[in-house]
Amino acid sequence: MQRRTALIAVMTAVLLMGIVAVGIAKEYVPGTPIVAGFIYVGPIGDYGWTHAQDVARQIVDKEFPWLSTVYVESVAAGDTVSTIDKLVNDRHCNVIFTTSFDFMNGTLAAAKKYPDVIFAHCSGFKRAPNLATYMADFYQVYYLNGLMAGALTKTNKIGYVGAFPIPELKRHISAFAIGVRTVNPKAEVDVRWTEAWENPAAAKEATEALVAAGCDVFAFTQDSPTVVQVAAENGALSFSHYSPMYRFAPKNVISGELVHWDKIYADFLQKIYKGTYTAHNLQNVDYWWLLGQGAVEMGAKPGMPINPVFIDKLKAVTVDDPVLGKIDVYDLIQTRLDQMANPGITYNPFQGPIYDRKGNLEVPKGMWMSVDSLTTMQWAAAGIVGPWPGEP
Amino acid sequence: MQAPKWLNIERRPIPSGRTIFAVSILAIVAALIVMGIFFATYGVSPIRAYGSIIGGALGNWSGFSETLRRMIPLLLCGVGLTIAFRALFWNIGADGQLLLGAVAATGIALFSGLPGPLLLPAMFFGGFAAGALWGVIPAVLKVKLGINDVITTLMMNYIALYVVLWLIHGPWRGPSMRGYAYTDMFPLSARIPTIGQSHVHWPTLVLGIVLAIIAYIFVNRTRSGFETRVVGENPHAARFAGISTLKTVVIAMLISGGLAGIAGVGEVAGVHYQLLDPTQISMGYGFTAIIVAWLARKNPLAVIVTSFFFGVLMAGGDVIKVNLGLPYELINVFNGVIMFFLIGSEVFMNYKISIRRH
Repeated sequence: MQRRTALIAVMTAVLLMGIVAVGIAKEYVPGTPIVAGFIYVGPIGDYGWTHAQDVARQIVDKEFPWLSTVYVESVAAGDTVSTIDKLVNDRHCNVIFTTSFDFMNGTLAAAKKYPDVIFAHCSGFKRAPNLATYMADFYQVYYLNGLMAGALTKTNKIGYVGAFPIPELKRHISAFAIGVRTVNPKAEVDVRWTEAWENPAAAKEATEALVAAGCDVFAFTQDSPTVVQVAAENGALSFSHYSPMYRFAPKNVISGELVHWDKIYADFLQKIYKGTYTAHNLQNVDYWWLLGQGAVEMGAKPGMPINPVFIDKLKAVTVDDPVLGKIDVYDLIQTRLDQMANPGITYNPFQGPIYDRKGNLEVPKGMWMSVDSLTTMQWAAAGIVGPWPGEP
Repeated sequence: MQAPKWLNIERRPIPSGRTIFAVSILAIVAALIVMGIFFATYGVSPIRAYGSIIGGALGNWSGFSETLRRMIPLLLCGVGLTIAFRALFWNIGADGQLLLGAVAATGIALFSGLPGPLLLPAMFFGGFAAGALWGVIPAVLKVKLGINDVITTLMMNYIALYVVLWLIHGPWRGPSMRGYAYTDMFPLSARIPTIGQSHVHWPTLVLGIVLAIIAYIFVNRTRSGFETRVVGENPHAARFAGISTLKTVVIAMLISGGLAGIAGVGEVAGVHYQLLDPTQISMGYGFTAIIVAWLARKNPLAVIVTSFFFGVLMAGGDVIKVNLGLPYELINVFNGVIMFFLIGSEVFMNYKISIRRH
């Protein structure tokens, strides 16, 4: 019995310590130095998602004299809150960025635990007064890459190596397929899933399977340049993804998708510094940044939208556009890029009427898809073949 | 091998408690010194490194709560392993048994339709049963067919890992998870209460401590426990005494696998509230627990202390990662170094080594 009493006493003491520990963090005063903590899901050397996040961290760290940053790499989902504990209590962070969907529940819990700390969670959909969400999305760029793929395929078969069948990828692959079909109504986009963000062995296997199936142009969502390399070994073309992958196959990489997370970080941090954003008004702050804000860029390396090797080939293919008339694909790409990148966006790839691959009308004539329907998208655009888990 | 003449090596028939304790402490100290060299090569003074590990893991509640959270699965797996190791059954499969327990708990939490108050008891029971079943298979294979237990238990970890992967990518992928490979969140009635906002699911911790005491009584005060020891220490004597090896090993693995299964229930119902990537659920608890059980010298009560010690190391690993910017993998190196010295120190436990004086 005495042991039990002792145990209860210990538990009570521990509980009291817990109550005391809450509420140590102080609210940020605008104009004072900011310490921003970044939590990464992978190693900073992954040459994909985490690498791009860390490049952005370094850019803002250099840009603002009032900002210092710390980061923690390879954090497990279950360690989100305990890592934030240390960033807040030991490293004195007053702003925390959690840069993976995996951290969503942990970030929400931490936001409740530290109501005076400002949080921003990347790619999620749960917000709080002190928790914003942000995303730099590629769907416009994928559409532009799709226009190129449709013009350059000779077999009319385009391979796509996807990671997970989540709305983000379904949106990107559909935008890509819409671009492909605009130029080449006979072409198909054949999809394989690796069920991993970074699995070079699975990506290699998927690429080789698609090559065997006749694909001669490749796009992908993987945190490694594997698809670019394997496609080049087989004489196939490809688009770079996330990080600049031009150098891995300079004769085979057409273009690609590049990210600039620093644009979002700079805007968010400056607004905190000025006092626009506080720990009380973030409930509806959701960054959904695209070409127009410079958060994403078309190209296989910064400053090179299209590999010069392919420009003449794109100019040689023409399409009939209902508005623009007879136009070559290179000019079409430039027109669409201008329409989407300049203020007052006048074009959206998901512009109705759009039918899914089962023939259902998904976007009515004259309508654009809303951000909300884009972030929860499950259907597959016409022209996509292959498995599509969760297809309505 | 012939010992040099100036060395006197004498066998200790039964090492005393004091000897075991002293040798174990010396092994840890030696490991800490070697690890200190590793820290120094990263440009961090060992004193500062150990200071922040201990300060971070024990010095405040948020660190201490992480220590307790890591201790829970190590305690449950570790207690089970002491029993398996006593029966001389090399259970390297606690990680897989833990995962199966997590799977059973998830299935009951999400799909059983049981009323709220029955959910958690059913999950603990189901987790125990699933872990026990996963543990008994290699036990039967070893005793009946003579198949090496190290190989089967180790390989069954991978089967368990792929079972979890298949479930979260396939039939159990949660409709509310927008295509990500997680199950849906458990209902509130299927979540183990925690202390404050921490991950310390204290009912599992209390259960672990109670089970450690029961295991101690089982080993030292019951007939089955005695038979376990005999089978482990002298299989021939056991056979002559009419002790069934099959029954004894099966009982030991029911307990060992079952307790690992309970640890799995605690992880999904007390920390994550959903089934997710297997490496996120187990984080190598089943393997670290081998060292925990070894350091406890197969004494279930001592596991309470050694699992706490490794809880400090694991929580401290997070501290050196966040606060000192050192790679977390150093903690795995640490585990390896400690295991190395512990096994090496067995010689000093079983033999008295002294310098011969003429």
